[in-house]
Parts: sequence; structure tokens; C-alpha cells
Amino acid sequence: MSTEITMPKLSDTMEEGKILRWLKHPGDQVRHGEPIAEIETDKADMVMEAYDDGLLDEILVHEGESVKVGAVIAVLRSAAEQARVGESASSAAAKRGSPGPFTATKGDTSQSAENQALEAEQAETQSAEAQRPRVASVRQIRRRRPEEEPAEVSVDKTSFSDVSRQSETEPGAEQHAGDNSSRFHPAVSAVQSAAPTAIAAAPPPPLSPTQTRGQETSLSAENKLRASPLARRAAEEAGIDLSQIRGTGPEGRITKRDVDNFLREQQLFKFRRLIAPREGLPGSREELSKMRKTIAHRMAQSKREIPHFYVTIEVDMEEAVKFKNSLEATEIFEEDITYNDIIIKATALALSRYTRMNASFENDGIVIYPNINIGMAVAVEDGLIVPVIHQCEQKTLPEISRAAHRLISKAAHGGFSGDDLSGATFTISNMGMLGVEHFAAVIVPPQAAILAVSAVKDKPVVRNGQVVVGKTMMLTVACDHRIIDGVVGARFLNEVKRFLENPASLLV
Amino acid sequence: MAASRYDLVVIGSGPGGYVAAIRASQLKMRVAVVERDLPGGVCLNWGCIPSKALLNSAETMELIRGAAREHGIQTDEIRFDFKRVIARSRAAADKLSKGVRFLLRKNKVDYIEAQGSLLGPHTVALTPVAGKSPPPAEALEAERILIAAGSAERLLPGMTIGDNLMTSKEALLNDRLPGSIVIIGAGAIGAEFGYFYQAFGSKVTIVELEKQMLPGMDAEIAEELRKEFVKKGVTVLLGHSYQSAKRKGSGWSVGLNANGSETTVDADAVLVAVGRSPVTHELGLDKLGIELERGGFIKTDESFRTSCPSVYAIGDVVRPPLLAHKASAEGVAAVEIMAGIRQPGFDLLSIPACIYCEPEVASVGLSEAEAKRRGLDVKVGRIPFRANGKAVAVNQTEGFVKIVATRQYGEVVGCQIIGHHATDLISEVVLGKTLETTTAELGRSVHPHPTLSEAIMEAALAADGEAINF
Repeated sequence: MSTEITMPKLSDTMEEGKILRWLKHPGDQVRHGEPIAEIETDKADMVMEAYDDGLLDEILVHEGESVKVGAVIAVLRSAAEQARVGESASSAAAKRGSPGPFTATKGDTSQSAENQALEAEQAETQSAEAQRPRVASVRQIRRRRPEEEPAEVSVDKTSFSDVSRQSETEPGAEQHAGDNSSRFHPAVSAVQSAAPTAIAAAPPPPLSPTQTRGQETSLSAENKLRASPLARRAAEEAGIDLSQIRGTGPEGRITKRDVDNFLREQQLFKFRRLIAPREGLPGSREELSKMRKTIAHRMAQSKREIPHFYVTIEVDMEEAVKFKNSLEATEIFEEDITYNDIIIKATALALSRYTRMNASFENDGIVIYPNINIGMAVAVEDGLIVPVIHQCEQKTLPEISRAAHRLISKAAHGGFSGDDLSGATFTISNMGMLGVEHFAAVIVPPQAAILAVSAVKDKPVVRNGQVVVGKTMMLTVACDHRIIDGVVGARFLNEVKRFLENPASLLV
Repeated sequence: MAASRYDLVVIGSGPGGYVAAIRASQLKMRVAVVERDLPGGVCLNWGCIPSKALLNSAETMELIRGAAREHGIQTDEIRFDFKRVIARSRAAADKLSKGVRFLLRKNKVDYIEAQGSLLGPHTVALTPVAGKSPPPAEALEAERILIAAGSAERLLPGMTIGDNLMTSKEALLNDRLPGSIVIIGAGAIGAEFGYFYQAFGSKVTIVELEKQMLPGMDAEIAEELRKEFVKKGVTVLLGHSYQSAKRKGSGWSVGLNANGSETTVDADAVLVAVGRSPVTHELGLDKLGIELERGGFIKTDESFRTSCPSVYAIGDVVRPPLLAHKASAEGVAAVEIMAGIRQPGFDLLSIPACIYCEPEVASVGLSEAEAKRRGLDVKVGRIPFRANGKAVAVNQTEGFVKIVATRQYGEVVGCQIIGHHATDLISEVVLGKTLETTTAELGRSVHPHPTLSEAIMEAALAADGEAINF
């Protein structure tokens, strides 16, 4: 059995991811849950873990390359499968001359058809680059660098005359390999369909680059749809693999602009690593990072679409402060409970009573979430991320504390995984550590509300008719008025206040 | 009707407005179009369509006149009824205008005869127009408003229309052929009417302020057109500025200035063809503080949104080029952006421009000079029609094709054509540009033989130094 490893969706908004570093290499044994690669998403750098045991057979996406979510980035194989590969090629050779069932894989999914087109395209680009008549093999050279090459038969070193033979054998091999490792094979068959044309056009002397181009553009109908001739030529000259580029033209066609944008992104990425502090120079213009783009897009969308209203309340934190101190003094929990943890717990309790605050406006309906997953806005370099504590309704205060600390440490050091950054149903933005008096936050769509937490301050308060020094904190909730009315927002906030002012309740 | 709210109200039913309205209706919007004149706007009633009917008459006239010389087909003395020529043009306009009315009805777009103006961000006031049926309400409520009010003929200071001093609109209705005419302006309209009147035997003088005909067009193309006009007997005065138009007998004496020296040209009639201006007055723009740009165009963003977020604008009121097909394309784009099925932005460099005199002129994208001005390193492929088999066979060998492509990738950034059927030929290059074609694909696409279109293929090859037949 071989398993494809695909680019995981590591956040709600993630569309593509970039491989920063492979932590495992072809030939390495991989265990379920073991980190195999570092991935840059629109939100953060994350570690990707293996879902299965096996041998990392092939890396399809190299470091520094981006692919869409769901794209195959590597292949994992069991040792048994590894042994069988050698046979499959030879048994395929035995079936030489069988009709080429190109459709066998086409029937698969449109996705794979697209893959075929893409990979055939690569083969073309490569052949022009190589400027020698080794059409089928070139893709392999690029795809599997020698050092990554597993011990298996490949068309890599085939001479030109071998290519035609190969092209006859592969269709058989493809039928044979009708398992989930077949993603690799369609590419080969797409290359074959190209091969005869190229052979006919090629004969003895090498073609000049321009001539080759003319031949290639007429290879197959799928190719033409995927990228414009101009984009293809620009990518070729820049040495970019077109499959790395996301097309924004009709039907996802790659245009020159996509190539340009891709190049700019690449440049920026390199540049960003060089300059450390991200404060803009006066008079300078800064291109948005992926994270900033996401923030810009989502926050603008929120303010555009969600009718916000705000409710603010002052909480007397005297009891909460005592509560925190007594937990510290008694060391009743292993964890250091912070104000942040206390506020998350209080909020979770309030949310379980005011379910509309834990909801989302969808297609003229209100969806109440089954779980309470609280996102915490955490500042990082040039932006913020919102790690999520899932199922807060089932977690005790120390459990929440543990989850929060784990996430915050990941935010500082990288290494988010799984659903760490997705699935929030409510968000808390805490600027208490920055000493702010009061602020309001922007709702993170599609959530219904966000709680803004300000600093705990020494303030004059009236207690038993006396003005004394008390500890207070401002809470402001921003609500989506399509879901929540003022009364609900106010009651919810009062509920949070009640729990904070009576913190024994937080020990449930 | 008054109480219900439209998703979109379009002001103007020209090629921008009516096309946008139909597209909006296709996208399930409830749409109304407000028009103060006739369905189809200037294009159908006072521009493209009736003028093409006149030019077709002119071409027929030239064909018959050349029949003996070229084909040995003898004709008796040629006589014509100029009133019929004009009437035929009006009939064509009328037919298409009715067609627009029909299309709007078929697409369930409410057509309202009134002067539309902005009353609020979501309100269009309807002012009755004399001679039209009264509007169904005083105002329409709309989620969004699209201004597609178009443009009007421009006059020079001190000019008043009348007594055979005409703009194109009066010329289209004028059924008495002037013996002589001075045309001020050698742009598309000036060239087309110049050709038309010349074909019917008027003595034509075209006056142009710039140093070339068709200002803005590739200079080589413009010079070729000037030579062809001069060959036909048209007097072309370049670098002449208009000073005055004085009545002289039953005609006019037009004062001109060239480099400080004054001259006058006398003629029975004067046609002013110095361009068009956006129609922005009477729209109530100032009520909503909608900003204008240089030249009086309405300022819009990439989504065709004006400075009032619920009000959009497209076509001639927005920016040059003032072309019907540009307005239509913008109308469709604006509506699709509103519907969220299209990204903001619009590529003006893929808008073709056509002039329908003979020889025809057509262009898309950048000229060689403009490309260089923008710092592009370009190569140019140029093929004359005399090297084209079909052109020789049908004896239409004047003119040439120029293709401008970047040296780096061979990206086709522009094409200019002067010659027979140039306006039909350009579409291939427009498609090519839209698909980001390079000279390699244009040159390697097999073109049928013998056709004029082979000149495009050869010009693409010529850009790469690989032309076969030249």
C-alpha cells in the first residue's frame, strides 16, 4: 500500500502552503504523528505530522515551493510496496503493445486530469530547457533529484530510443497501478502522448529553443487551457515550474500576471528573511505579507458585512485577584493559572448559557455551534494569529490553562499543527498586558462576537459606602447585530462579570 | 411600481446601458433602464450604425465608379438619390433601436422614458421628456445605480449649430448633399464623413490641428490614410488650427491658422468633428458629491464604483476611449463585479478601435511609438497587403499590417492595420491578446489561403524575422 501525503488545510482560510523544510527524507521511516515537514501557511509556520506509518518514498514538492491544499506533496510506502515496484515496471513491459487506456485514469477525477495536464506541461518546459531529445526522462530528472531517488526502476536514464518503448509500456503499468499511488503514473502517460510528436519533430539535430516552443504549444488541448503561451514562456525563462503557480484567469488558467506575482512573492519571501524589524521606514511602501493580506481581507470583510454593536462593562476584579493568588499559594494545580485562563473559563461558562453568542450568521439563518471553541488573538511578528482552545465547555480551568499555554508557546516558537488554528466559535482579544484602559475588537467572521479584555487597574471604587482602592477591568463585547440584540449582549457580559466576581464558580 | 425597489437602475440605454441591464437581468437582478432619447443611445441612433449605413452607400458608389476601370464593366452615367441614402441610414438605425427595445422586454428589463437623475444614493428622479409617455413614477428606488449616460458632440468656442454648420448628428439627418464641405477634425468621425462626402462628389477639405490624421494612432498608418485620401481628391490640412467660421453667401468661410499664417477655406457646409464630451450635467452628480476627473469624466474605481458607493458608472462618461464596444464590455464587467462573479479591474489595452472609411483602419493595444514610450523593448512585424495574394486578386492592395511584440517573450502588445476589411481582421489579434498570445502562436496558426488574414500571420512571423512571403 502506498499513501499520498497531501498538503493539509491547517487553518480556515488556508488555500495553499509552502514547504519550508522537510524533516524527513526519502528512505526515512516515518511513524504516525511524527513531524515530517515545516509548512508556511497564510497564518503561521506549522509542523506537519504523518498520519500513517511507512517509508517516505518520494518527495514531490521541494523546499521553498508552494502548492494548493490537497495537492500531493509526498508519497509514503510500506516496505512490501517498495519491493513490488520493480516488478510492476517489468510486468508492464510484458504487456507492451496493449491499447493505451489513457482514459482509465481520466475517469478517475477531474483533479487528476488537471494533474496530468500540469505534469505534461512540466515535461514540455523541461525539455525545452534541456534542449536535447529526452522528452520523457527530463521530468523525472527534475521531479526526483538523484539524491532523492528511491531504489526503483524509473525512466530516468533512458536514452531517446528507450522513450518510445517506455511510452508503449506505461499504459499497461498504469492499469496495474490502479491503486492510490496512481497519481504518479498519469503524469507518465501524459508525457508519452507528447513523446511521439516530439520524436517525429525532433529527428537528429537538437532543435533551437524557439522551434521547440512552437512544437510544444501544439501538444495537447489540456495544456493550452492551463496557461497562456505568454505565461508559459515567462515561466520558462524565469525557470519556474508552472505547477507551483495558482492561475487566476478563466477556469484557473495561469496568466502572465500570475507568473509575475509568483516571482514577486518569491522575491519578497527572500527579502523578508533579510530585514529583521518590520517597522516601515517613513515614506516607504511595504508589500503585504500573506498574514497581513489575510488580516486585511478578513477584517475589512467583517466591518463591511457584519453590523457591529458594542457593549462595555466594568468588572470588579478584587475577588478574581484573590482567587488567582490563592491558587498560586496553595499550588492546588500544577499549572500557573493566569488572568487570561480565568477569563477564558468565565467566558466559556457564560457562552454555555447564552448560546447565541456562540453562533454564526449563515444564509439568512443562525447556526448555533455545538461546541465552544475559544480563539485567543495572539500577537506575532507583523500580525496576529488566533490559536483555538477546542471544546471549552468540557474543560476545567487547569485544562484550559494547559491548552492555552501550549498554544501560546507554539505561537512564540512555531509548530502549530492539526486544528490549532481553526474552528474557533468565539474569540477573545486580551490587551491587558499592554495596560490599555478600554478597547473594542473587530469580529472574526463568521463568528457572532468577540470579547475585548483590557488591563486590571487600581481604581477608586465604592464599597460599603466608602471610596476605596479597588481592582477593575473593562470588558467590551462586539456583537453581530444580525444574530444578537443588545439585551443578549448585555446579559452575556453581565454573566461573564458575575463569574469573574464570584470566581469559586470557575472551579467547576 | 414606485414603492418597489429595483436591484439596479441604469441611466442610459446605449450600448453600455442596455447591455449592462440585460446582463444584470441574466444574473437575476431586477432592472430598469431610464432613457431620455431612443433605445440604443447614440451608437444605434446617432453614431455607429447610421454612419455605417452611409459608408456602405459610399462604398457601393465607389465600387460602381471603379467598375469600368477595374473590371471593364461599363455603366451609363451614375445618378443617385441622396435622400434615399439618408433614409436608408435612418431605417437601419430605427430597426436596431426597436430591436433593443425588444431585447430589453424579452429580458424583463423595465424601460422607462424619462430624464433620469440622482436624487439620493438609492434614488433616481424621473423627469418627463416632451413628446414621450410620462414616467410611471416620480422616482425609482434602487439598491444600485449605474450611470451609462454616454457622451455628446463637442463644439469649439463660439460655434452655433445651424445653417449647414453641423455635428455628426445633424449630418446624419441632412439629406441635401453639400457641394463642398470643410470638416474640422481628422479623427474617426472626420475621416469617415470625409470619405462619405468625397464618394458622393462633394469637394472635401479636412482640417486637423495635429501633425497627422487620426491623432493618437500609429503615425505610419495615419500617413498611409492621408495619402489614400489625397489620392481620392480630399484636401487634408494638417497642423491647422480653427479660428472662426463666418457666413459667406449661403455658405461658410472658415478661418484657419497654420504656424502663424492665416488662411480661409470656403465651403457650402461645415462639419465639426472635434471629439465628444461625457454627458454629466443633468444627472444630479453634485447632489451626492460624485467626483469628476480631468476632461469631465466621472471618477470610478476598479469596480466602476463612483465616489458614492451605491452608484456605478461605465462607458463614455467614465474615460476614453469613447467606443460602443468598450462601453458594452465595461457594462458587463461592472454588473458582474456587482454580482461578485468577477474580479475588479478592466484591461483597456485589449479594446480595439476601428475606423470605417476606405481603406479601413483598425488597431488594438500599443503602437510602436507608445510601446517605446512606456519603456518596452519591442520588435515590429510589418507586412503590406500588396504581398498578400487575396489582396492582389481583389485589387485592394493599399495598406499594411503592423504587429508590435516584446522582444523578450514575443508578447503581442499591439497591432495596427490599414486596408480592406481591416476592422474584421483585427479581431484575431484581439482574441490573441486576450489569451496572451505570442508571435509564435499567431505565426504558426494555419491561416486559410487565400485570405487577407494571412497578412496577420505573416506580420507575426515578420516580427521574428521569419516572414515567408515578404
